[in-house]
Amino acid sequence: MQAPSTPDPLKQITGAATSAAPVTPPARHGILARLEPYLYLLPAFLVFTVFLALPAFGSVILSLTSWNGVSWDTATFIGLENYIDAITDRRFQIAFWHNIVLIPYFVLLPLLLGLIPAAVVHQLKLRGARWLQAGLFLPYIMPGVLIGVVWAWILNPIFGPVNKILKNMGFSPPTWLGDFTWALPTVGMIGAWAAYGFCYVIFIAGLQKIPSELYEAVRLDGANTFQEFMTVTVPGLRREIAVVLSVNLINALRAFDIIKATTDGGPGDQTQVMALYMINTAFGANRAGYGTAIAVLLALITLIGSMLVLRFMGEDDA
Amino acid sequence: MTLDRRELLKRSGMISAGLAIGASAATHTVAAQEEDSLVFWDTLNSPPRSEIVENIAAEFSTAHDGITVEHRGWTSEELVNTLPRSVEGDQGPDVAQVNNGEALTGPMIRAGQIIPLKDYAAEYGWDELIPPGLLARNMYSADGTTFGEGELWGVSAESEIVGFYYNRQIFADNNLEVPTTFEEFETLLAALREAGIEPLLFGTLDKWQAIHIFGEIQGTYTTREYLDNLIYRRGDASFEDQSMIDAADKLVEWKNNNFFLDGFEGINGDDATPLFTSGAGAILMQGSWAAGQVTTDMGDEAGFFLMPPHADGGTVLSVGGVGIPYSITSNAENPDLSAELINALVSEEAFNAFIDAGLLPAGEIPEDKITADTLSGDLYSNWNQALADDAVGHYLDWATPDFYDILTGELQKLLAGEVDAEAFTKALQEAYASSFDS
Repeated sequence: MQAPSTPDPLKQITGAATSAAPVTPPARHGILARLEPYLYLLPAFLVFTVFLALPAFGSVILSLTSWNGVSWDTATFIGLENYIDAITDRRFQIAFWHNIVLIPYFVLLPLLLGLIPAAVVHQLKLRGARWLQAGLFLPYIMPGVLIGVVWAWILNPIFGPVNKILKNMGFSPPTWLGDFTWALPTVGMIGAWAAYGFCYVIFIAGLQKIPSELYEAVRLDGANTFQEFMTVTVPGLRREIAVVLSVNLINALRAFDIIKATTDGGPGDQTQVMALYMINTAFGANRAGYGTAIAVLLALITLIGSMLVLRFMGEDDA
Repeated sequence: MTLDRRELLKRSGMISAGLAIGASAATHTVAAQEEDSLVFWDTLNSPPRSEIVENIAAEFSTAHDGITVEHRGWTSEELVNTLPRSVEGDQGPDVAQVNNGEALTGPMIRAGQIIPLKDYAAEYGWDELIPPGLLARNMYSADGTTFGEGELWGVSAESEIVGFYYNRQIFADNNLEVPTTFEEFETLLAALREAGIEPLLFGTLDKWQAIHIFGEIQGTYTTREYLDNLIYRRGDASFEDQSMIDAADKLVEWKNNNFFLDGFEGINGDDATPLFTSGAGAILMQGSWAAGQVTTDMGDEAGFFLMPPHADGGTVLSVGGVGIPYSITSNAENPDLSAELINALVSEEAFNAFIDAGLLPAGEIPEDKITADTLSGDLYSNWNQALADDAVGHYLDWATPDFYDILTGELQKLLAGEVDAEAFTKALQEAYASSFDS
């Protein structure tokens, strides 16, 4: 005798026979039905086209001209001359090199400053750490100009607290942002401060998905805290690390607002970077065509850098 | 959900109607502005300047029944970046401040974006407001290729001169007098440092004051003819001139003698003013535009003097010039009315309003406005003397459109000992010479 069948809750909700054949949706007919999915994409596509694709295309066209940015009637087509000028321009080369130098500060340092505390909080299960998260994330949402202005005050050699404390301790501190040796590292440290909170929040979120059994397993094998970190935490956060590296690399390559608000590329050209040089040539020097070529080059460099990061981090995943 | 034809048409129609209503409203707004309003843009974006021009605008509006005068004050950088493209797109103002020289006036003339003011100058007497030496800074040839001569394209409401504000009490306490020669100035600066007082306050972190301190020293070695040829790009002046090399050497010498505020490289130019007014130093190098703030904070406890000449004689050209001039753009629907507005902005009423606010208007200051032993009195009497001697120099970054970055960068290197005077002037000359090729 067969046991009475248990009511299928799904059947009770849907009224459909769970043992029946799968339901085939009604056939779609007509051009409107085929176009329907695209209609839902249309608003986003329009926004993308108007605010991204068309301006990007326009920029490429502008970059092929010699134009002072005042009246389009004065623009003349010069082909790739702006790109050749940029690549051979000593000041652009210096700016490019400074963006490369900023990568350890804007990318690696905040990654470490975010990863290590996140791992400590997670592995040691420190209580109350979540209250720190909002404060740590705050710099990331502050405008870069505001960050630059505030840090310029903090590092002011006359009335800023940093130098006052150092002088009271008997040191002779430099002028930081006005010093030829210290300006670029100082700007880099400001950028690291602005970004590490973002990294911490990303990693804390990512750590939640690492199964605790993995930690228990390695502990049973005799692993210490550092070994837990290297064998479980870091591999488990590979995707988050890829995101952080990619986002921060973009920020390093397009660094502008913090530098504009603190040193404006100085002293000399010690903190000159590509984005700032682009703005100064396009608008300050009335060389809009040349400045746009620098913008296109900057976009390409950023795109290649991001792709390399994702490819490097993605191969392990595969 | 399947979107049937009827529903699709209905929704498309609603969206289209909404867009059409919005577009027609915007169009109506733009059209209304063109018919019964005058719009003027400038960099007077904070009191007291903004209040002065807005009062003038309100009175102009009252006197011209039905005309609304709209003022918008921008930062200098915003205005330079926005104005030409706005005018190009027929969205610009009727009247605007247009930066002198190749920064903006030259390119906008060549693009047909501003109109010549020759006829209006004759009607309103604008070419008699200031001496020819200053007027030239608002002049360009008819084709917009030669700066400093030809026709008038803009009218300035203000003037500017860079000099030295000093703390009268500190001077009195240390038995110091306002220097009458360059060498006395050097002795005075050394004495202040010896007494443990910060001698000369300014900041170069945001770069612009580096141009001023160098220009002030260079002005003691130069001539009117050389400087005009250099800035007006007449082709026969070089940055490797001996006056430039001497000035660069002297600047380094002053720095090495600790005449400058300790840490000046790490503070912005505007940070030095509150340091001075709080008594942190004896002398502040600043422009006449700071007189209002210094007066507010110190009253007549501060005085003002210009860079003195060398003991062996000669005229000093102090860094300075005219304020950014007002021009009429090609977007102006009624150029005659626009010219009338400019005339109001440089009228005697405006002139007196600038004086009452402690600012420096364009033109000679009447004697009855000068009170001895006051800050404003010092400023105005020195200004009148500079006008009379044709001793108002130039801003050296006017030499080429991108010279600001090049000059300030090289000056910061010079002050840090990264380059010497010869390398400094060579770098400037290379940039200056190459600008003639482009």
